[in-house]
Amino acid sequence: MQTFVILNLSRCIVLKLPTCRSAYYYTFVSRKPVGVLGCPVRDFIPDRYIKRTMKQMGKKKLLLALLLFSGGFILYFVWIQNTFEFPTIVHSLRTAYQTNMKSDPRWTWRCHNERCERHIKKENEKSASLITCNMLCGQPKLWPFPTGSLYVSEDSVTFFYHQISVLYFAKNPVRSLLEQSFAVFNQNVINMVPTTYKTSYKSDIKRFLVVVSVTHPNQNKLTLSTDESYTLAMNMNGDDLVATIKAGTYFGARHGLETLSQLIWWDDHPPEGILRTVKAANIQDAPVFAYRGLMIDTARNFMPVDSLKRTLIGMSMNKLNIFHWHMTDSQSFPFSTPSVPKMAQYGAYGPDMVYTPQDIQELVEFAYHLGIRVVIEIDTPAHAGNGWNWGPEEGLGDLAVCVNEQPWNLYCGEPPCGQLNPLNPNTYEVLEKLYKDIIRLTGETELFHMGGDEVNLDCWGQFLKGINYTDFHDLWGLFTMKALEKLASANGGNLPSNMIFWSSNLSRRPYITRYMDKSKTIIQIWSPSLWSDTYDILADGYRVIMSHVDAWYLDCGFGRWRETGEAACDPYRSWQTMYLHRPWQESMDKNLVVGAEACLWSEQLDAASLDARLWPRTSAFAERVWSDPEKDVKMYTIKESVYTRLTIQRDRLISRGLGAEALWPLWCSQNPGLCL
Amino acid sequence: MQKICDKMKTILLLLQVFLLFVDGSYNDGTKQWSWICNTSRKCEKVPNAPVHKYFYNRQEKEPLYSLEACRLICGQYGALWPRPTKDVDLSQDLININPSSISFQMLNAIDEARDFLIENTQLFLKNIFLECGKNCSAVNNGLDATVFISISNSNMDLNWSTNESYSLEISKAGGVYVTITAPSAFGARHALETLSQLITSYKIQENGIIHHQFVIVSKAVIKDKPQYPYRGLLLDTARNFLSVHTIKRQINAMASSKLNVLHWHITDSQSFPLESVRVPQLSKYGSYSSKNTYSLSDVSDIIRYAKLRGIRVILEIDAPSHSGNGWQWGREAGLGDLAVCVNQEPWRSYCIQPPCGQLNPINSNVYSVLGDLYSDIVDILPKGETFHMGGDEVFIPCWNSTLEIVNYLDSQGQDRSHESFLALWSYFQQEALKKFDSKVGNENTPIVLWSSALTEPEIIEKYLSKNRYIIETWVPSDNDLPTKLVERGYNIIVATKDAWYLDHGFWGTTEYHNWRKVYQNRILNSPSVLGGEACMWGEYVDDTSIDSKVWPRAAAMAERLWSDPSSSTSAAEARFYRHRERLVARGIQADAVTPRWCYQNEGMCS
Repeated sequence: MQTFVILNLSRCIVLKLPTCRSAYYYTFVSRKPVGVLGCPVRDFIPDRYIKRTMKQMGKKKLLLALLLFSGGFILYFVWIQNTFEFPTIVHSLRTAYQTNMKSDPRWTWRCHNERCERHIKKENEKSASLITCNMLCGQPKLWPFPTGSLYVSEDSVTFFYHQISVLYFAKNPVRSLLEQSFAVFNQNVINMVPTTYKTSYKSDIKRFLVVVSVTHPNQNKLTLSTDESYTLAMNMNGDDLVATIKAGTYFGARHGLETLSQLIWWDDHPPEGILRTVKAANIQDAPVFAYRGLMIDTARNFMPVDSLKRTLIGMSMNKLNIFHWHMTDSQSFPFSTPSVPKMAQYGAYGPDMVYTPQDIQELVEFAYHLGIRVVIEIDTPAHAGNGWNWGPEEGLGDLAVCVNEQPWNLYCGEPPCGQLNPLNPNTYEVLEKLYKDIIRLTGETELFHMGGDEVNLDCWGQFLKGINYTDFHDLWGLFTMKALEKLASANGGNLPSNMIFWSSNLSRRPYITRYMDKSKTIIQIWSPSLWSDTYDILADGYRVIMSHVDAWYLDCGFGRWRETGEAACDPYRSWQTMYLHRPWQESMDKNLVVGAEACLWSEQLDAASLDARLWPRTSAFAERVWSDPEKDVKMYTIKESVYTRLTIQRDRLISRGLGAEALWPLWCSQNPGLCL
Repeated sequence: MQKICDKMKTILLLLQVFLLFVDGSYNDGTKQWSWICNTSRKCEKVPNAPVHKYFYNRQEKEPLYSLEACRLICGQYGALWPRPTKDVDLSQDLININPSSISFQMLNAIDEARDFLIENTQLFLKNIFLECGKNCSAVNNGLDATVFISISNSNMDLNWSTNESYSLEISKAGGVYVTITAPSAFGARHALETLSQLITSYKIQENGIIHHQFVIVSKAVIKDKPQYPYRGLLLDTARNFLSVHTIKRQINAMASSKLNVLHWHITDSQSFPLESVRVPQLSKYGSYSSKNTYSLSDVSDIIRYAKLRGIRVILEIDAPSHSGNGWQWGREAGLGDLAVCVNQEPWRSYCIQPPCGQLNPINSNVYSVLGDLYSDIVDILPKGETFHMGGDEVFIPCWNSTLEIVNYLDSQGQDRSHESFLALWSYFQQEALKKFDSKVGNENTPIVLWSSALTEPEIIEKYLSKNRYIIETWVPSDNDLPTKLVERGYNIIVATKDAWYLDHGFWGTTEYHNWRKVYQNRILNSPSVLGGEACMWGEYVDDTSIDSKVWPRAAAMAERLWSDPSSSTSAAEARFYRHRERLVARGIQADAVTPRWCYQNEGMCS
C-alpha cells in the first residue's frame, strides 16, 4: 500500500491505494483531478487524454508545462522535506451524508419473517448492523431486480479490498474495456471503506477472485440488439471466493460487475467495520427492454459537464443505457461548434455555459465505458429560436422566425418563441452541419433524435411570407423530409437506422404515414397514457418509446413558473407512480415497444437540484424498464421488499456521490415494513 | 496535511495562470451582450452595443456590461431582497470600487456589539467576493470605500423588542462613503446585508485574462425596518437528521434574506437527536445512531452562529404528542411508562404518522425527566429566550387505548369524553410549564404552542393564558383561526399551511407551493401578529436536498414578512431571480425557478 495525494484546485485528497494505477483510476472516477503526487505522470494521465491535450496545446507547450510541473514538485519536496509526514489513512471521499448510513451499538437488527427488526442491543449480544441484516434477509437487495433465475446465499464472508483480483477471459478490444470497468468497480469497493478505521476483523477468505469472460470480443458497440445479459456465480473454492461473470458482450459483463458491486457492502458494525459479501450466488439476468433512457434538458437551464457525468454514473448504477440529451431549445443553444460557431455565440447563456466538441466527446466516452450511449437531440423545427437568430447579419436570411416574439402565447407554448424557417434553404445547410457534428461526436448511427414536437402553425402562418398552404401540417412534413435528406447526406448518404420523433400532430393520422417511414421511425410518446392516437401509431406498425407525461416526467409538480397561465403538468410524480406505471400491460403489441424513457425538462431546475430531482425516482423507473415487475393488479400497491431495496439503492447512490433525495424518515429505513 | 495541501494548491494555481499564457488567449466564444435599463425599468439584453470597460466615464443610459450590474440600478429597488420598507433612493449610476480597500469605522459600539460588528464586516466582505464566483480575480482599481457604522445602543439582547431598523447612505467625494446608522447592532447587520446587495462584479477581459471589476451604486439613501418582528424558518431534525453544517448553511441563507428566527423542531416521535447531559437515555434510545446527535455544545454553537447573523434560535421539544423514540426506557429504569403507544402497530389506530408515541401524562416521572431535559436547555438558551413546547396533534385514541390512563380517569371520576382528554392534556401542559419555570427561576418566558384542539377560540381561554402563550397557527389561509385568536387577545405566529409548508407537494394530495404562492400569502396585519414562518418538515428531506426545498422559497416569504408589499410577484420577479442567483453564489443549492432565458430577459416571460 502506498499513500497518494490527489490534487485538484479545490481540495486535496490523501488516500491509501495499492498502486499508482489505482490512484489514476480514482482520478478517472472523481472529477477534474489535476494530479497525483507520488506517481509517475504517465501512470495517472490516460493515454487518450495525453493525445488529446497534445493536439490541443501542441507538444512543445505540453512539454514545457510538464517540465514546469515536475520542477514545481522538486521545489516543493525541497521546501517541505522536514515537515512532510503522511498520516496513516486520511480519506475524504465520503461526505457528510454518510452519517445517515451508520448504524450504532445501541441498535441491532434481527431477521424475522424476511424482515429486519430493530432491537436495543443487549449487553454481550452478538449484534448485526442494519445493512448486514438487510443484505442477508429476504429478497436479495439488488436494483434493478434480476429477471432470470436467482439465488443469493444468506451467509456472508468478510474480506479486505486488496484481496480482490481479477482474471479476464476476453480478447481485445473488449479486454481493455473490461480493465477499465473493473477498475471503476474496484474503486467503488475501496470507496466503501470510510475515513479512518482500524479493524480487528479477520478476512474469512484468502482471495476474492473475479473472473470475467466475454464471448464476443468484437461486439463493442451498443445497439438495440446488443445482448446485455449476463450470469454471475459466486462460490467458495477452498479458501478463495470466486465470482464468475459470463456475458456475451462487454455491456453484459459491465452489468454483471454492477450487480456484483451491489452484493458487496460495508458492514458498519461498530466499533469497527469490515467489507462483506455473500458467500454464494447464482444470478441470471437480462433486461426486458433494449431502450432504457433518461432525457435531460440542458437548454432551459444549463447543466455543467460535471453534473451530467454524475448523472451518467447514476444511470449506470441502475442499468439505464440511453442518455437522451435534449441539448438545445428556443431558450438557448449551448452547443459550441466550430462548424457553425454563431449558434452558441448567439444562443448560449454565457461563454462558460457551452458544450464544446471536446466536452461532448469526453462525455460520450465516459458514458460508453458505463454502458450508456448518448443520443443528442437538436430539436426542430419548433423549440428553436435563440442561437438561430444570426442569419440576417450574415446574409443568410431568417433561419428562424418569430424568435422571441411577443406576445409569446400567440406563437408558442412557452416563452421565448421561435421556429425554424422551412422556406430558407440556408436553414437546411446549417442543419446538415449540425447533424454531421453530432454523428461525428457521438459515433451514433443507429439512433438519431429529430425532435419534432409542438410545432405552432400560427408562428409560420403569421411570419412566413408568400406561401399559401391550406394545411400547414404539409409544410411541417416537407420540412421533415428535407431535414431527413440533410441527415442522410451528413451520414455519408444513408439515413441512420432509426429516427426518433416526439409524438405530435405530425405523428397522427393522416400525416404520419405520409411523412414517416415506419421501418425507420420510432415515435417517442410523451402524450398522456390515455392518448388514443397511441393505438393508431401501433396499428400503423410504428415502433414506440414510452415517455408518458403523466408518469415519467420528472419535472412536474412545481407549479406554474410564469405569472400567468396553467401549471404545465402538476402534480409531482412520486417514485411509486413512476414504478407502478406499466403502459404496455393493456392490450398493446409489446413487440413494437422499444423501451421507455424518463424525461427531465429544466424550466424549474438547474444543476443545484438536479440530483435530488432525478434520484431515487429514476431508479424506480429503471426497475420498471429493466425488470418490468408484474403489477399487483388487485392492490395497486408496492411490496414492502421494493421499499427496502430502494432505500438501500438510495444509499448506494449517495455513497457514489449523487445527492439522491430521502424517501422517508430514517426511522422507516431502520424499521423495514413499519411505515407502510 | 491541510497546510501542505494549501501550499500545493498555490503552486497549482500559479501553474494554471502560467498555462493560460502558454495557451495564448482565452477564447470567449460568445457574443458580447450588454444590458440596458429600459423605460419600463427592466434590464434589457442588447447585442453588441459599445461599452466602456470601466465606468469612470460612463454616460448615463449607456448599456452595462452585465445583467447583474444593470439590475443594481434598474427600478426603484434595484437588486435588493427583501425590498426596503421606507425610503429608497438609488442613483442610476455605478462606480468602480476596489473591494480590497474597503475600510470600516465603528462609532459608538462597545464591547460585544463592537465585536459583533467587526465579525459582520468580515462576513460582508466574504459575501461580496462570492459575487464574482469561484475563480474570482478582483481588479484592484476603483475607488476606496469607507463604511461608517454608528449604533445608538450596544445592548446585544436579541428578542421581541429588538429594533432592527437602519438607515444607509452612499455618497461619493473622492472616495466612496457609506454611512450606516442603526439603533442596534442587529439593525446595522441588516444594513451591511443591504450594502452587499448594492455591490456586484462583472467580468472584463484584458490580454486574454479574465478579471472581475467591482461596482457599487454611486448614490443611495435607504431607510428600512421590518413589518413583522418574527420572520422564521422551521427545520425538523427528527424525521431525518440534518448535519450541523447543513443547519449553518440554512442560517447563512436566512441572513441573506433578513429572516430572524430559526425554529428548531429538534425532536419528534421518530427520533430524539438532542443529547441531554442530565438524561442521556433520551438520545441513546432515541437517536438514529451515535453520529446522528446534537450535543449541547453543538446547539450552543448554532445559537452563537445564528446570533452573529441576527437570528434567534427557538428550540422546540414537542410534547406530549410527537414523542416516542427516546422515551421508551422508563419501565426498564423503574420509572414506569414515560411514553405510551411507542412504535405501536397498526399505527393508523394510534397516531397520524408512524411511528406512534405520546408522553404519559399521569406518570409523575415524566415531569421529572422533562424537568431535567429543560434544565439542560435553559443552561444553553440566552436569558429569557422564548421556548416552543410543541403541543400539536395529540391523538386521543392513543391515550384512550392505554389501560393505565383509562383507569386513572376512572379513578378520578372522569369519563372518557373528548373534554376529559382535553383536560388531561391541559394538565400535562400546566405541569410541564411549571417544571420549565422552576428551571428558569421565573414565570416570564414566552411559550409558543402550535394551534390544536386546545387552542380552539371558544375554549382556549379555559386552558391557556394569553399572557404566557403565543399560538403558532398552522391552518390554511382561508381559516379564520388567526383572526379569532387575535380578537381574544392572543399573540400569534402564522405558519400558513397551504402556502408556507415547504414539504407539501411530495406526499398525499398536498400541493407544492411555489415561490409565487409563498410570496402572495398575506397574513393578518395586527400588532398581535408577531410574524410568520415557513416550515420545512423533514419526512422527505435530509442533507442532500434540503437547500433546494427551502430556497429560494423561504426568501419569497422573507420579503412578505419584512416588506409586506401590496404588489404582485411580477413586480418582484427580477429582484427575486437575482436573489436566487445570489444564494447560489453564497453556496446554497437553491432551486431554479425559471429558465435562465427569463432571468436574462426581464419581463419577457410573463
